[in-house]
Amino acid sequence: MIGLRSTWTGRITLTIASALILVFLALPIVLIVVTSFGSDALGAFPPQSWTLGWYRAIFADGSKWPAALSLSALVATITTVFSVGLGITAATALTRSELPLRSAVYGLVLAPLLIPQVVIALGLFLIFEPASMLGSPLAIALGHTVLAAPIAVMILVATLRGIDERLEDAAASMGAGRATIARRITFPLAAPGIVAAAIFSFITSFDEFFIAQFLSTTNTTTLPVQVFNVLEFDADPTVTAVSALLIAVAVLALVLIGLARWLGAGKQSGLLPVEPAAGIAVSGGETV
Amino acid sequence: MAIASASIAPGGLRALLRSRRTRAGLLNAAPIVLYLLILFVYPIFGTLLLSLKGENGGLTLHWYADALSGSNFEVLLTTLRISGETAVLSLLIGFVLAYAVSRLRPVWAGLVMVIVVVPHFISALVRTYGWIILLGEHGLVNNLLVKLHLPGTPFSLLYNELGVIIGTTSVMLPYTVLVLYGVMRSVDRRLLAAAASMGAGRLVTFRRVYLPLVAPGMATAGLLSFILCLGYYLTPALMGGPKQTVVASLIDQQVMKQNQWNGAAALGVILLLLTFAGLLLLRLASRIGASARTRRAA
Repeated sequence: MIGLRSTWTGRITLTIASALILVFLALPIVLIVVTSFGSDALGAFPPQSWTLGWYRAIFADGSKWPAALSLSALVATITTVFSVGLGITAATALTRSELPLRSAVYGLVLAPLLIPQVVIALGLFLIFEPASMLGSPLAIALGHTVLAAPIAVMILVATLRGIDERLEDAAASMGAGRATIARRITFPLAAPGIVAAAIFSFITSFDEFFIAQFLSTTNTTTLPVQVFNVLEFDADPTVTAVSALLIAVAVLALVLIGLARWLGAGKQSGLLPVEPAAGIAVSGGETV
Repeated sequence: MAIASASIAPGGLRALLRSRRTRAGLLNAAPIVLYLLILFVYPIFGTLLLSLKGENGGLTLHWYADALSGSNFEVLLTTLRISGETAVLSLLIGFVLAYAVSRLRPVWAGLVMVIVVVPHFISALVRTYGWIILLGEHGLVNNLLVKLHLPGTPFSLLYNELGVIIGTTSVMLPYTVLVLYGVMRSVDRRLLAAAASMGAGRLVTFRRVYLPLVAPGMATAGLLSFILCLGYYLTPALMGGPKQTVVASLIDQQVMKQNQWNGAAALGVILLLLTFAGLLLLRLASRIGASARTRRAA
């Protein structure tokens, strides 16, 4: 690579290769968005003519998408509440107190991100099926929290570590109680991180497939399960527009997180938080 | 797991609890620990027990014998093969991209990383669907190849192993790029300059200095995509043919269609053990990397 890079041919080869790889990553996404506006939703590219008809069809009478969409939104909202609540307490424990077996706790928290999701889904199925809770939004949300809470913890641990603890000590030395410190010092400084944790929890649940698939019934399916069923069994052209909506939700979420960080503080550097993805790489408790 | 601190002697435990910061820590850690014990650890133990339970209640290993024989064993081999191929490909492609990005100026590097990270947060299901449209007989890729008058076009790129590998690689690629980029950014360029100043040719510098520096990161990236691929069945189910059935889809079929929970549980435990083996290797790789770093620092 070093040999390649230092010559002009090498540099050009590397640039072209990288550009191709970026196209490889982006192309499927761009293609879905463009095709969803084309009159032939399952076929020719670029489309011959443009239409918004597929989006209207999503919400037409007798369409099965609105029910799936509202179930997904409900499940994702419950998941967000659970995950942020668990995340705040867990991150406080991990960064602001003496915790025996801290790395074991952190290891347990990160484990759901590395264990195959299909195994987690199977285990949850085995406890929710006898309880006849299959298809219940609460059961799916409880399952999704197993995956979303670790991400919330990771983001909030990073957030709390970034806050200068001396600010809290200073407030305490001037007589502020613990509740006052949390409300007036820590919470405002941690707000962008909490927003990011909430949005990531929401999107994790909204896009999750494996657990939702195992805990769904034929009458109650989340949006990703519905998309999978359509792709596997019947070719419904509106699926392209639904996929484009899922892309839009994810992009919107990322923009909101960037905005929250930008508004929250000047000290944050990156636009996009990559900690969740990169955090998976440092498995185990090394980061604590 | 915080409860496991009972292994500390009772007197010590009381002293620990007396400390206010410790009490606050245990109290705050309790919700998530309990939550994960009930809804994550317990279900997995339930799966393990079910996989060992015979039809008349006793312990048996015959679900494992089933899972490891005949067509089921072939499915296991397919899973390992697809995961291996994906890991190698996403490692190679990720290496090229991460290397190029690590040489860019920070502004450009940031922009390129956005293109890498944004797809990562878009549902893999949706990205797989994008590939299905792209790789079809009359999809964009085949249309392009036909226009170039390549012999043998249109190629069949879908419902075979090639299609599955294209799909899974694009899903795993962001992970390898993120890991490798982090490692490559931290390489001290002065070491390369020093090697060159002492007369090492470019290839020698690359092979003897650069590669050893990034090798632990490569091991991490490759193992990570292998592990994540093991339990992933969206892309194989949608883009593969019958020959690309993986263990995870078999679990799904056995539970949803055949009501064969014990067999599914045995397959799940096998998947879990494979993942643990991968994680152990991952830990080993990062330990070797860490000891190499301290040796360099000394």
